[in-house]
Amino acid sequence: MEKVSIIGSGNVGVATAFYLAEKGIANIMLVDIVEGKAKGSALDLSEAAPVRGYDVKIEGSSDFKNIKGSKVVVITAGKVRKPNTLRYELLEENVKLIDPIFEEIKKYAPKAIVVVLTEPITAMTYYAWKKSGLDRKKIIGVAGKLDVTRVCEYAAEELKVSPIDVTALVLGGHHKFMVIPPEFIRVSGIPITELLPEEKIKKLINSAREAGTTILSLLKKQTSTYSPGAAVAETVGAIVNDTKAIMSVSTCLEGEYGFKNTCLGVPVIISKKGIEKIIDIELSLEIKEELKASADVINKTIESLGI
Amino acid sequence: MKISIIGSGNVGVAAALYLIEKKVADVVLIDIVKNWAEGIAMDIVHVSPIRKYDVHINGYSDFSKIKDSDVVIVTAGKPRLPGMSREDLLRDNIKIMKQVSEYVAKYAPNAVLITVSNPLDILAYVALKVTGFALKKVIGMAGILDSSRFRYFIASELGVSPKNVTALVLGGHGDLMVPLPRYSTVHGIPVTELLSKSKIEELVERTRKAGGEIVSYLKTGSAYWSPGCSAAEMAECVVRDKRRIVPCSAYLRGEYGIDGLFVGVPIQIGKNGVEEIIELALTTEEKEALHFSAGKVKGTIEKLEAEKLI
Repeated sequence: MEKVSIIGSGNVGVATAFYLAEKGIANIMLVDIVEGKAKGSALDLSEAAPVRGYDVKIEGSSDFKNIKGSKVVVITAGKVRKPNTLRYELLEENVKLIDPIFEEIKKYAPKAIVVVLTEPITAMTYYAWKKSGLDRKKIIGVAGKLDVTRVCEYAAEELKVSPIDVTALVLGGHHKFMVIPPEFIRVSGIPITELLPEEKIKKLINSAREAGTTILSLLKKQTSTYSPGAAVAETVGAIVNDTKAIMSVSTCLEGEYGFKNTCLGVPVIISKKGIEKIIDIELSLEIKEELKASADVINKTIESLGI
Repeated sequence: MKISIIGSGNVGVAAALYLIEKKVADVVLIDIVKNWAEGIAMDIVHVSPIRKYDVHINGYSDFSKIKDSDVVIVTAGKPRLPGMSREDLLRDNIKIMKQVSEYVAKYAPNAVLITVSNPLDILAYVALKVTGFALKKVIGMAGILDSSRFRYFIASELGVSPKNVTALVLGGHGDLMVPLPRYSTVHGIPVTELLSKSKIEELVERTRKAGGEIVSYLKTGSAYWSPGCSAAEMAECVVRDKRRIVPCSAYLRGEYGIDGLFVGVPIQIGKNGVEEIIELALTTEEKEALHFSAGKVKGTIEKLEAEKLI
């Protein structure tokens, strides 16, 4: 059984561990710098094992050396948004927080695939690439996968169909500039453009863009937990089981889609190597322009990192 | 909830196993051969401690045991042997389907009826006529299986997870089935953007002949895991009112310009059976292929009606 470490034992870290355990994907090491926090959650999850019938090991620690031997390291650590804050406003603070984590990963799990969930995800994935010196194929930002699941859910709700049958593709950044081409929202392969009028599609795309903010404004003290946790667990599962699943994720581009030295959400094949392949598809002129605008925003954020 | 499976051959038992593994409902297996279904059910029950089944499975040769089923799956019929086409089975299987349909109408009048026996589009028609069920209550299993095969071939060709591939295969269940590459996607991306035209044509051809390919290997039988699984998937959609959109053989009344026939089209499947028939914006070429396929089904039915066989 492979080992997966999750850095940051907050709500999303624990939700990720929960989904990984339920699906029996890997042994789990939760790490949090707050003494006892990871261990407590690990114990809590372990004690549910006899009822739920899972037999993966779930451990918690405040000591980074315990991530040794991990196939995947997930970084969920970092400040999260409060109502009325924007994702990129977290950048400066989270960069400081994440720097020492990279050092620990380099030291104890240098061969691991790194999955980034710290906000702002796309810029942070770029930062991780530059700081870690890792092959870009080994760093995956889980933004698109999460956005996709929201688009699919909203579409299923509008159409009153099972969410299982809805697929979508999300490109660009993980914020209001995410690019959602309507022709790639499909129900059992049927384009949503054949099933819904244009204004309804626009409306559900806008709802999906605002989905994270909607949840935050309801919960007030907490950002969404389950959908990010499930998206990360799905990504980790694809790596550990080498499933070659296709997902929209944030990845560092070196010429794909006409972008260089930046990070953007695009469809990729996930395997045990991390990003097995970036799928470079032909986009319509309109979508290309939207993607360019989205990249401009991310590039500005990246420039402010000064690396 | 209760699902009855009539015909406890390989396909029926495979369907039962998938339903039980997913804890979809209690399952009743029926077979006219005395004690056969009982023996199979007993064998499966013995697995429950290992696989943690907590639904009930029973087997009988007495048709009255299907009483009050929510779904009835009919797999009874003779299977294809090497060199046989689905049409070769026609006469024997019509007789079997007529008999079974009478029992279904008598004991499970409120069930959704899923037919699996071949030739599929003809026998679904027989079942509808004999039971006198509402049109939406009788559905033929074909498209899920054909598209599952197409999906698998696409995934293998691209080296991606089969989970990410969707496909639509319409038309009659046979060599004239109509795979629609434009509506077949990988993570929402149409395969037409990822594979060359000739490669797609090759996979389409393999899909058409996939059932026969398996028959040629097995020699003494035909595929059963994939048909069983596809029937189980449909039954689950009904029992759990999942409202999935899947290709199935449904009775058309003017949709796609076809009237009074069972033809494979995308439907929404839920607790009432066919909740909705989805009409795609097909190209002229796709429409022609669908009509050609439906024409073949129509020809067979007219011939059988002239011979007073149905």
